[in-house]
Amino acid sequence: MRQFFILLRKELRSFFLSPLAYVIIALFTFLNGWLFSSIVTAMRLRVNQHSLVYNLFDSGWFWMGYFFLFPLLTMRLFAEEKKMGTLETLFTAPVRSAQVVMAKYFATAILYIVIMLPIFAFFFLFQDITGELAAFQSGSFYGAAAILMLVGLFNIAIGCFASSLTSNQLIAAMITFVGVVLHYFLGFIHFFGAKLPTELLDKVTYFSTVEHRRLFTEGLVDTRPIVYYLSSAIVMLFLTHQILERRRWKA
Amino acid sequence: MISVRNLTKRYAGHTAVDDISFEVDRGEIVGFLGPNGAGKSTTMRILTCFLSATRGTASVGGFDVFKDSIEVRKRIGYMPENVPLYDDMRVKEYLHFRAQLKGLRGRSARHATGEAMDTCSLQEVRRKMIGTLSKGYRQRVGLADALVNKPDLLILDEPTNGLDPNQIRQVRELIKRLGERHTILISTHILSEVEMTATRVIIIDKGQIKASDTPQNLIRRLHSSGTVHLEVKAAPGQVIEKIESLADVKTAIHISSAQDWASIDIHPCSNVDIREQLFALSREQNWPLRELYRDTASLEDAFVNITGS
Repeated sequence: MRQFFILLRKELRSFFLSPLAYVIIALFTFLNGWLFSSIVTAMRLRVNQHSLVYNLFDSGWFWMGYFFLFPLLTMRLFAEEKKMGTLETLFTAPVRSAQVVMAKYFATAILYIVIMLPIFAFFFLFQDITGELAAFQSGSFYGAAAILMLVGLFNIAIGCFASSLTSNQLIAAMITFVGVVLHYFLGFIHFFGAKLPTELLDKVTYFSTVEHRRLFTEGLVDTRPIVYYLSSAIVMLFLTHQILERRRWKA
Repeated sequence: MISVRNLTKRYAGHTAVDDISFEVDRGEIVGFLGPNGAGKSTTMRILTCFLSATRGTASVGGFDVFKDSIEVRKRIGYMPENVPLYDDMRVKEYLHFRAQLKGLRGRSARHATGEAMDTCSLQEVRRKMIGTLSKGYRQRVGLADALVNKPDLLILDEPTNGLDPNQIRQVRELIKRLGERHTILISTHILSEVEMTATRVIIIDKGQIKASDTPQNLIRRLHSSGTVHLEVKAAPGQVIEKIESLADVKTAIHISSAQDWASIDIHPCSNVDIREQLFALSREQNWPLRELYRDTASLEDAFVNITGS
């Protein structure tokens, strides 16, 4: 456990002492701030039955930016260490691969939370300034925060896995982007003209982030998506661990 | 300290290490020599638990490198080839991080960091970013990392690779000093370095061990036909005739002549030192003599001879 915290501190340090983290934080805060103000303006001009929280997270613009976040956050995790050769010094020290994977994963999750926090600050600022409600019930806030956290944890795990596959950060970023986007669009599969039997379509929709997000941002917290995202993240992290341990398997 | 038994490592379509066995005792400094691609780094990576073996076993300090890899890793300090380091960290910070990772806590981690920096003369660059350091300093940071937790065994993969002669000398002195306290397995291309520091040499080629002995014994093996060079003031034909009449001489070859001085190479029949006979002959013949020496083989000759390069 001690090794995990040493590695976590080192990862957080390299995130927060590099300009990349601040560029990402500034970029996403700016883009989401701009989107937020656009949605507030749109809602003032046209009556809408949904809350501000729902509308923001229902916006395709938000998710477009969101998809690019994960490749940026995770591409360097293992790919850079592989390229620099530091994986060799890391794994010849008395640390377990699982500790390395978890430290990198949680450090990225912490950075992800830091990037997402300003969005929630916007809602509170909005309520404070206008005296209007950003969500019709407080459950919407928690639901939105929960779904963003769950999807984020799963997507970071996809990124970890992709980064462990290659020493090229660009390839890792592309695999992560494709993985994140494909998973998100599972819920839209019928829009792309796929002729699927209703039964299969229902099953696919069960994995759809779109559906989960709608429920959660309306304040309906369902335990099934929680189990789904967390267990999927664990599977991806397990695969990452196996990829890193592969070199030690008897050939 | 190290015990390797029938170790084999195969990659797709190529055998990097082929059924090698060797032992390294506590306190030894063993030079691990071989041409590029001979299997040195692969063997070292197996010993440091980074790679697995296809067949065979290896243990460090009695712990199996595959089954008890954490125990093995606690006991070794490893400096890989090309010295991979985190460029975005400062020297002191990096070494402190590595000390902690290797199990040292609080004050003992700080103390060990300071000591490793002193040993490797890194105090003056302790606040510098690793990415800005010269090759020599990077090499020293790698070495300091390997010894920060005072491991029983140091495994150094080409520690002087890419250094200038002054830096090589400094690192060599450092390794000699470290040899007083640690068991060292060192691979290098600079054979004079091994000749001066190692107590034993293992020569590996095409994945197989070709020789394992002290540097002196390896060199001695090559002495069997030590050529003698002679330079005298006389007619070359007459000199060769007289020399070849000696019982222990196989052939004498005229190499060159300059201002009446004839330079001759003499190959003796067997492992006989014929310098005394040659000196006696030149005195008897009244040949002015200005050079007489016997080729001394170096570890480099032994290496070339054994690996057939």
